[in-house]
Amino acid sequence: MRGVSKAFPGVKALDNVDFELRPGEVHVLFGENGAGKSTLINIIAGTFAQDSGEYRLMGAPVRGLTPHRARVEGVSPVFQEFSLVPEMTVEANLFLGREIARGGVLDRGAMKSRAAKIIADLGFDLEPGRKVADLSRAHQQMTEIAKALMGEVKVLILDEPTASLTEREASRLFELVAELKASGVGIIYVSHRMAEIRQLADRITVLRDGKLVKTVEAEGVGESELVELMTGRKIDLLFPHVDHKPAERLLEVQGLTLEDGGVLGVDFYARAGEITGIAGLVGCGKSELIRAIYGLEAIESGEIIVAGDAYEEPDPAASLDRGLCYFPSDRVAEGLALDRPIRENVSISALALDRFAKLAVIRRLGERKIVREIVDQLALRPPNIERAVGNLSGGNRQKVMLARGLTRETRIFLFDEPTVGIDVGAKVEVYELMRRLVAEGAAIVLVSSELPEVMNLSNRLYVMHRGRMVAELTGDEIEEQTVLASFFREDEAGENAA
Amino acid sequence: MSDVSGREVGRITPTAALVKAMLPIALVALLILFSAAESRVLSLGNLSNILNQASYLAIFASAQMLVIITRGFDLSLGTCVSAVSVTAALVMTGSLATEEANALAIVGGVAMGLTVGVLCGLFNGIVVAIFRVNPFVATLGSLNICMGVATMASDGRPVFNVPREFSNIVYSGELFGIPAPILIAAIALIVLHFILAHTVFGRGLFLIGANPRAAEVAGLPARRYVTQAYVLCSIMAAVGALMLTGRTGSGEPNLGGNLTLESIAAAVIGGVSLRGGVGGASSVVLGALFVTVLSNGMNLTRIDGNVQMIVLGGVIILAVFLDRFRSATR
Repeated sequence: MRGVSKAFPGVKALDNVDFELRPGEVHVLFGENGAGKSTLINIIAGTFAQDSGEYRLMGAPVRGLTPHRARVEGVSPVFQEFSLVPEMTVEANLFLGREIARGGVLDRGAMKSRAAKIIADLGFDLEPGRKVADLSRAHQQMTEIAKALMGEVKVLILDEPTASLTEREASRLFELVAELKASGVGIIYVSHRMAEIRQLADRITVLRDGKLVKTVEAEGVGESELVELMTGRKIDLLFPHVDHKPAERLLEVQGLTLEDGGVLGVDFYARAGEITGIAGLVGCGKSELIRAIYGLEAIESGEIIVAGDAYEEPDPAASLDRGLCYFPSDRVAEGLALDRPIRENVSISALALDRFAKLAVIRRLGERKIVREIVDQLALRPPNIERAVGNLSGGNRQKVMLARGLTRETRIFLFDEPTVGIDVGAKVEVYELMRRLVAEGAAIVLVSSELPEVMNLSNRLYVMHRGRMVAELTGDEIEEQTVLASFFREDEAGENAA
Repeated sequence: MSDVSGREVGRITPTAALVKAMLPIALVALLILFSAAESRVLSLGNLSNILNQASYLAIFASAQMLVIITRGFDLSLGTCVSAVSVTAALVMTGSLATEEANALAIVGGVAMGLTVGVLCGLFNGIVVAIFRVNPFVATLGSLNICMGVATMASDGRPVFNVPREFSNIVYSGELFGIPAPILIAAIALIVLHFILAHTVFGRGLFLIGANPRAAEVAGLPARRYVTQAYVLCSIMAAVGALMLTGRTGSGEPNLGGNLTLESIAAAVIGGVSLRGGVGGASSVVLGALFVTVLSNGMNLTRIDGNVQMIVLGGVIILAVFLDRFRSATR
C-alpha cells in the first residue's frame, strides 16, 4: 500500500500511509487507539475503500474490493467486533457464506466433519453444535479465528486477538501463528501487548494520528522506544501528577452480583479526592460493575451505598440526582445523539433542574450560557455549541459527554474506557479534567483496559477477573508485573485444581 | 418559525440551503403548473379552499409527526379517527340531546371523543414504550381494534343528525373572518411548536428519536415521554376527527379511510425523518399544503382519482428518498 489516505466526517483517519506485508512474516501494527490501525486493516479487508493512494494485493492493483471478494482472494480478517450470527451454531457460522452444498441442498454431514477437524487442528475447546450467543467472549473469539482460517488464507489479519483469551488459549494461538507463518501466510497483527509483540513480530509499523511514524525491524527495538514512537512523547509527560487526598467513602459496593453473572459478589469502594482504578481483561465485568451502579444492568443481590445511604434499584435519573454520573465507553451507541447539537447533548442530563427549565419550559438563554461556559472550560474546538455532535472528532465528542457531568452537582464520576478512540492531545485533556475533579473533592472510578492509564492515574487499583475482584493494589504495588499477574492468577488456580 | 428541525444545526452549506428551500419552491412550482392548466386554481376562492382543507391534514400530520420523531409510527390514526367520530356522534345524538338545547349533548360528545382519543393513545404508548412492541405491529393491532369499536358502536352505518349547532361552530364558524378549521389548526400548530421547541418534553422527544439508548443512559424518562407522545398524537387525531364530524354532520365509521397514509405522507414530505429525531411544526404545515395543493390541482384539472392515488404514492417514496439525501448533507 502506498500513500493511502482515508477521511471520515470530522477526522482524517489515515494520512498518506505506506504499508507492506511479505509472505511468511508477522507484521505488527502498533499505535494508540484512533491512530488509524483499524482503518488500515478495514481497507485491506475491503470493508471500505481508501480515498486516495494505491493498494496492491499479491502484486495486482485492487479496485472495488468488497469484504467477500477480499476473502476469495485470501484475505481473512479477525476483527474485534465479531462477524458472527449469534442465533446460529458455531458450525453454521464457520461456513457462513460458503456452505458446502450438493445440488443446492446443504450437506450437513460434510460440514460437521470439516468443522470438527478444523477445531481439533486449532486445539480449541469449542463445541461445534452450540449457539454462538451462548458462548463466552473467549469462545466467540475462537470461533471467529476458526472461521477466518476456513478458506485458502494468504493474508491473515488479527486485531487484538488475545484480548479475551486466557494465557493457555493465547499460547495455542501463538503456535498457530508460527505454523501459518512457516507455511507462507502473511500475518497482520494488531496488539498493544509488549510481550506478544516481542514474541511474534518480524517487523513493526507504528501509526500515530493517522500518519505513518516508522516501520522498524522487530529485532533490536526496545519497548520504551516503541512507546515513544507511538505517543510522540515520553510516557511520564502523558499522565499528569494527580494529587490524591483520600477522604470519606462516597461510593461503596458490597457483595454485588448481577443477574447475568457478569459480576459476582464484588466488594469495593471509592473515596472522595482520589481516583480508584479498575483493571482487567475485556469481559471481566469491570465495565458491568459501574454500569450496574448507575442503573444499566440488572442486579441480583448486593448493596450499593452512596454517600452513606443505601441506594436501591438504581436507574440513571435517580443516580444523577444522587450526584452519580456514568460516561459510557461506546459514545456512538450509548452516549450521544449525533444529529443533535452540542448544546442539547450537554444539557440532556440536567434538563429537569431549575437552572435549565422552569415549569418544564426550557430557559434557552440560560441553557446557552451555562453550556458555553462548560464547553469553554473543556477547550472544545471549535466552540460553536450549535454544531451537530456527529461532525466532531472522537476527542471532542468525549468532551461533550464529559461536559454533562459538569452541568449539575456531581460528586462521583464513573469513567468507562474514557480514552478509547481519542487522540493523544484529547487524552491529556481528559486526564487533566480528572485531576481537576479530584482536586475539587470528587470521587472518580476509572475503568480502563489500557494498563498504563489505570496504573498511572489510580491511587488505588482494583483488578477484576471473570466477574470477581481478585486484587486491590495501593501505591507501590501498582506496577505492570503485579497487575498482570493478578489478571491470570485465578486461571492458574483453576487449572491446578482441575 | 424558528429552528426545531435539527437540519439547521451547524453550518448552512449551499447544498443544505438548496435542499431546505426545495419544498417551498416545489409548492410554488406546483401552483404555477396547475394554474397554467386551469385558471381557477389561483382564484381567491380556491386558495382559501386549499387553506381550509390543508387545516385538517396539518392536524393529522402533526399528530403523526409527534410519534415519528420518536422513531415511531401510528398506523391506527385513521381508524382512531373513525372511532372518535362515531362515539362522539352517538353521544351527541343520544339522550342528552333535546329539542331546545343541544349544548350539553355537544359538550358530552366532544368529551367522549377526546376520551376515546386518550385511551387509544395510551394503549399505543404503553404497548410501544413499556412492552417494547415494534410500533408498526403495535399500531397495526390497534388499527383493527379501533375499526372493530367504530363498526360495532355504529352497526357499520353512519350516525346521522349530529346537532347542527356543532357544525356551525367547528365547520362553518368564523372568528374575525377566519374560518374555524383554519383557526383551530393554527392554534394546534402554535401549541405544538411551543411544546417541541420550548419544553423539556419536546426536547426529550428529539433526543430520544436521535438516539433512544443514549437518551436513557443520560437519564431522560424515555418510556414516559414516548407514551405521552402517543397520547398527544391521538388527542390531536381526536381533535381532527371532531372537526371532520362537524364537516360531514354525521359520525362516520369509515371516516379514517386514507388519513393514516395521508398524514404520514404530509409529515414525510414536509421533512420529518422516518429515522426519528427530525421534525417541526413548519414541516407539517408545508407538507400538508403540498399534499393538499397536489390533490386540489389534480381534482380541478380532472385527473382520475385512481391516478391521483398513484401520484401520491410516488411522491411519498420520492420524499423518503430525498430524506436520505438530506441527512447526508446534514
